[in-house]
Amino acid sequence: MNLIDRYLHEVGKYLPGKNREDILAEIRSHLSDTLDERVQGEASEQDVINLLKETGSPRKLAASYPGGQQYLIGPDQYPFFRMVVGIVIAAVIGAQLLAIGVNSVLGEEVVPYWESFAGVLTSIPAAIGAVVIVFMILRRFGVNPDLEDGEWDPRTLPEVNEEEQIKKGERIFGITIGSIFLALLAAFPDKIGIYLFPDGTFYPNPVIAQNIGLIALSLLASIGMDIYLLWQGRWTLASRIARIAVNLLSIGVLIVLLEGHTAWLSTHGSTGFFQSIEKLGVDVAGNFELVGMEAFRLAFGVALVVTIIETCLMLYRLVRRSLVKTEVPVLSSGK
Amino acid sequence: MKTQESKEQVLNLSQELRRGVLPLAVLSLLKDKKYGYALIGDLAAAGIEIDQGTLYPMLRRLESQSLLDSSWVLEEARPRRYYQINEQGSRILETLSHEWKNLNQLMENLLDSGTK
Repeated sequence: MNLIDRYLHEVGKYLPGKNREDILAEIRSHLSDTLDERVQGEASEQDVINLLKETGSPRKLAASYPGGQQYLIGPDQYPFFRMVVGIVIAAVIGAQLLAIGVNSVLGEEVVPYWESFAGVLTSIPAAIGAVVIVFMILRRFGVNPDLEDGEWDPRTLPEVNEEEQIKKGERIFGITIGSIFLALLAAFPDKIGIYLFPDGTFYPNPVIAQNIGLIALSLLASIGMDIYLLWQGRWTLASRIARIAVNLLSIGVLIVLLEGHTAWLSTHGSTGFFQSIEKLGVDVAGNFELVGMEAFRLAFGVALVVTIIETCLMLYRLVRRSLVKTEVPVLSSGK
Repeated sequence: MKTQESKEQVLNLSQELRRGVLPLAVLSLLKDKKYGYALIGDLAAAGIEIDQGTLYPMLRRLESQSLLDSSWVLEEARPRRYYQINEQGSRILETLSHEWKNLNQLMENLLDSGTK
């Protein structure tokens, strides 16, 4: 095969099927005419090389034709694509976290925590992939989203809302604290419990050790969500829903921990935090463990209450945002 | 370095200026049917350089906008795609020509008043 055939074959790879043969025939005709004018008699390989170099690389030439540009999702569709990906990811992650949270409370279907975490992670590329495929098909059939249909009215621009701005400090604080807990959990999974000073007796916390995967999952989801929010800079409907799902997961995990502690305490004969402290006077060594576990339970209880309040606030904002329609401000005429 | 930069800037800006009038130039030369290679020669003779990577896609766009008709003709054992302006294309060409003369006049006035 000569160079021109190879060149045209390569150009054809980047052209849309509809006019491909026609375009290639025209390019061939042009190249032959040019060679004829330049060279008397048979063109040498060097002549052809020079000509093709001038004509430009196959991809560049193809790109100058309509439909010859190489992309899966064009600049027209990209903003729409980004929006859809955001919604799909939030929905997929939110739904799975919600399911894990509900499962951990109801205790049905015992799935290892790391497995469910891996499931959440692998579902992200799968979800993005599915959206990409849908957009590829839409492009293939020439469906373009008409995002600016109708007459555009500047008064429909959304109000700049303080509430929509994500407070960076809060998110960074959340990420830092979450990361510290996660790092401690990863580094010393068997060193979490009650220490007695000065003699250094250590009682591991069996409830935490038992649920370590679930705790890590909840922390990871929360950190991931905060990083995403920090990156986005402002709240959207999707991110509000996803954040609530993450919170519901945390609530689920906290309930599991609380119930675990309660069960442990009742089997070890505790009747309450203050009763346990009173018992210290009788049997110091044995009861410190009880007091420690009570303290853990109290801490988790406080965390649960705080998270529930926070989630209710989020739900309130979400509902209010969807109920209150943004009013179009009336433009004042004159001063 | 500085002159090099400004030369490049002038080149870019003048290319941008010319790009806008290329369809008008092409339409004006297609009253008789021509194939792309000959058209490039005619444009060059008129002082307008255009490379084939610009011309052929433009011809196809103009054709898809129903301003040009095309047909393959076999000449000297070589198929050539001939383009010719059609009725609608002629009407558009006329309007565009007026538009161009207007614009030209406006720009002349503007530039003259600017230098005074």
